[in-house]
Amino acid sequence: MKSDRLKPALLLGPLVLFLGLAYLVPFLGVMQWSVTLPETGFSQYGKAVSDPLIQSVFLRTFRICLIVTLCAVAAAYAIAYVWVRGTPAQRLVTELCILIPFWISVLTRAFGWVALLSNRGLINTWLQAAGIISEPLTMVRNEFGVVLGMMHFLIPFAVFPIASAMRSLDERVFLAARGMGASRLRIFWSIFVPMTLPGILGAGLMVFVFALGFFITPAILGGGRSVMIAELIYLRLFQSPDWGLGAAISVILMLIVGALLVLMLRLVRPNKMLG
Amino acid sequence: MKSGHEAAEITASGIGKAYGDFHALRDISLTIGSGEFLTLLGPSGSGKSTFLMILAGFETPTSGTLRKNGADITGVPAEKRAFGMVFQGYALFPHMTVEQNIAFPLQVQGRADADIKRSVNTIIDRVGLRGHEKKRPSGLSGGQQQRVALARALVFEPSVLLLDEPFSALDKNLRSSMQEEVRRLHQETGTTFVFVTHDQSEALALSTRIGIFNHGQLQQIGTPKDVYERPANRFVAEFLGDVNFLSLSGVKATADGAEGLFEGHPMRISAPGQFVSEHFAIRPEHMVMFEQAPAEGNMLKAEIGDITYLGAETRFGLKTPGGIDLVLQMPTREVKSAFQPGRQVWAGWPANQGFFL
Amino acid sequence: MKPTPIAVFLAFTVALFLLLPLIAVVPVSFTPARFLSMPTDVWSLRHYQALLDNPAWLQSIWLSLRIGILSSVIATLLALMFSLGIWMFRPWFGSLLFGFVLLPMVAPPVVSAITLYFFLTTLSKVNDVVAYDTWVGVAIAHAVMIAPFAVVMVTVALAQVDRRIDLAARGFGASVSQRVFKVILPNIKFGVFTAFFLSFVLSWEEIGVTLFITSVDAVTLPRMMWMGLRDNIDPAIAAISVILIIIVITVILAKTAVTFKLSRKT
Repeated sequence: MKSDRLKPALLLGPLVLFLGLAYLVPFLGVMQWSVTLPETGFSQYGKAVSDPLIQSVFLRTFRICLIVTLCAVAAAYAIAYVWVRGTPAQRLVTELCILIPFWISVLTRAFGWVALLSNRGLINTWLQAAGIISEPLTMVRNEFGVVLGMMHFLIPFAVFPIASAMRSLDERVFLAARGMGASRLRIFWSIFVPMTLPGILGAGLMVFVFALGFFITPAILGGGRSVMIAELIYLRLFQSPDWGLGAAISVILMLIVGALLVLMLRLVRPNKMLG
Repeated sequence: MKSGHEAAEITASGIGKAYGDFHALRDISLTIGSGEFLTLLGPSGSGKSTFLMILAGFETPTSGTLRKNGADITGVPAEKRAFGMVFQGYALFPHMTVEQNIAFPLQVQGRADADIKRSVNTIIDRVGLRGHEKKRPSGLSGGQQQRVALARALVFEPSVLLLDEPFSALDKNLRSSMQEEVRRLHQETGTTFVFVTHDQSEALALSTRIGIFNHGQLQQIGTPKDVYERPANRFVAEFLGDVNFLSLSGVKATADGAEGLFEGHPMRISAPGQFVSEHFAIRPEHMVMFEQAPAEGNMLKAEIGDITYLGAETRFGLKTPGGIDLVLQMPTREVKSAFQPGRQVWAGWPANQGFFL
Repeated sequence: MKPTPIAVFLAFTVALFLLLPLIAVVPVSFTPARFLSMPTDVWSLRHYQALLDNPAWLQSIWLSLRIGILSSVIATLLALMFSLGIWMFRPWFGSLLFGFVLLPMVAPPVVSAITLYFFLTTLSKVNDVVAYDTWVGVAIAHAVMIAPFAVVMVTVALAQVDRRIDLAARGFGASVSQRVFKVILPNIKFGVFTAFFLSFVLSWEEIGVTLFITSVDAVTLPRMMWMGLRDNIDPAIAAISVILIIIVITVILAKTAVTFKLSRKT
């Protein structure tokens, strides 16, 4: 029976070994950095927690992620609703509007917002040409641009779990409710929304987790003015080489995300997320 | 063709399967005779399918041993057992044609192409799939898919054929014609068939013997007549069909059975060799309805309640003066116009009908 | 329960929000100016010309293609073997392993980036093929990042397969390789192809990790765009963006048309 044990190992082994060597071991190395650079001990963790600058970055990150999560989930719910339950034409249009941005690179999408919002961008040019404003409005290189850009990136991700929750609903429940004389508004708020709550929570947590560790969009649209935690790690590593601190912040971020993921697994069964 | 199949005898002793604290099967011991058609019958969750999976080698028992013609095969995986199997839902390979599906077991065994072609051709004729060889399963009807599954499982002349609820997806008419087909294939091949179902009429119609499962235990094993007319316990009695229970008083064993009283009526039951108790049971179709008290046999007085027309048969709900509800079933053509709700009638049966529990 | 006009209005507002930045890129790409601006009188193709004239753009595209193919081949192959192993043998520690291989997907990108930076800089000390700022190094790092997605895609495809066909094959005495090649793979080939395609696209677009593990030699297309975006925004970015957007739209429309046709047929 020896070969029976060997065959699963031959199939499972390569990927596990690959990720073990190329991901797990290096991550342990990063953890080692966090307690050895520049000196041995937990001083970098102390700094990461007590430094007012880093504290403010953490707070800003949480604030922005919370705003982005709420807005993205609300927007995703609206579009998912029509995508799942609209007429065939409405479904086609919404589906294209969800899928096209989803497949386009994050850089192109962030750049699109720059093209739209910058001083010589689409909106400012039109508003000035129409004579509504004389000086361009500042809409990028601040939190406003970051929030819009991140929302844009995350809405499609939020749509999928919500749409799958909506698809799994039994149509007869609504027929039954109508048969009992409930109004459409009533059915929506007291039946439809509560029944899709697991999808909403799953989408919210997923978006929040994504947003926390994300740095391309904030780096481009924040223009170095509203730095978020992930960008801070990048700066600590490549601009003011401070590897120990960068590593320590990474480990803290990993712990926060890990805790959120455990929460997510408790709230939403993972097989539901896969659709 | 009969010579091709080497039918095998399978002996299970003390087979058990536990998942943690949950016992899916407990101490199953039985022998499946060579060339037999054994049906494993039981409600869902009774352990019958688990037992079939253990026979097939897809599951290993947590206790007990399994022997094939005397050789221990408990730890032999399914790949090495080479039993034919027909799955619930057929499990046809969707990407292969009918021909390719049937040829698969032979190719796996590394047979020569010409040999494969001949065997496939023979079996295609035998199960009546000529003309459908190049179709894929999705292009076939349920009955045709069923035939492909049977052909695929029989083509390599396995010593044992296992069938897991093969007819559950078919409608009633197709079901009975496929039952006929399976019975014919069993007779022609002489292979040992082990058949799992939850449908008691299917089990009674097909099997040489029936093993009845409940709560992971084998309740009784015997010929269809045995288990139907001499059930070992109340579960078996009720699972195989409707049954009326009568509590007798003053039960005395006699030379060939027992005597007792039911609501004042004397009852004489002839049941040689059976154990005797005050719990007497009789099936609805074994009772006959009379307008007047019959001259002989056991009888009791009752009032007709509701009447259910079933086509060939008609069912009467009866209430005895003592308030016991009974069911009586008779051929519709024998129903008299006098048998109307509220009417006082007599229900009788010969002394050799019924059983003790 | 059909959506009310208000619901449809809200959904289309979101749809517009999703499309707007993609539309805004188009006019910017035709500006005659050297800086990011809207074309006023003249529409110019100079930034498209710049893409062709500057060999750095073509080099970065060629590099991204090579990295994309190598990394998606590695990731799809490893993911396919892994998912098959889990599906066929269902080991008791399967969900634990499954969780482990999804780590690079669920960990914050920046944590993965610093981890892979550590990995490649450490390897740089002993070789210069799989190393920091080399194309093979980037491909290996991308394979780490995209393998979890490939695992998910293949697992989803396997979930559609009736497990009993594998049992049937086993019952007929098929070996593991016969089960894989004759029974399972023919039924998931579309899923495997999708996994490969998704892997390629993810590698092609990857920037978070790439930023950490490349410097001047392995400049992928996204890295090239990033450099043009950070300081003075180069309108050539708009031109390349328009081209990428057109490719994506074409592929999605083609796929939608094909699905539509297929659904009409059945």
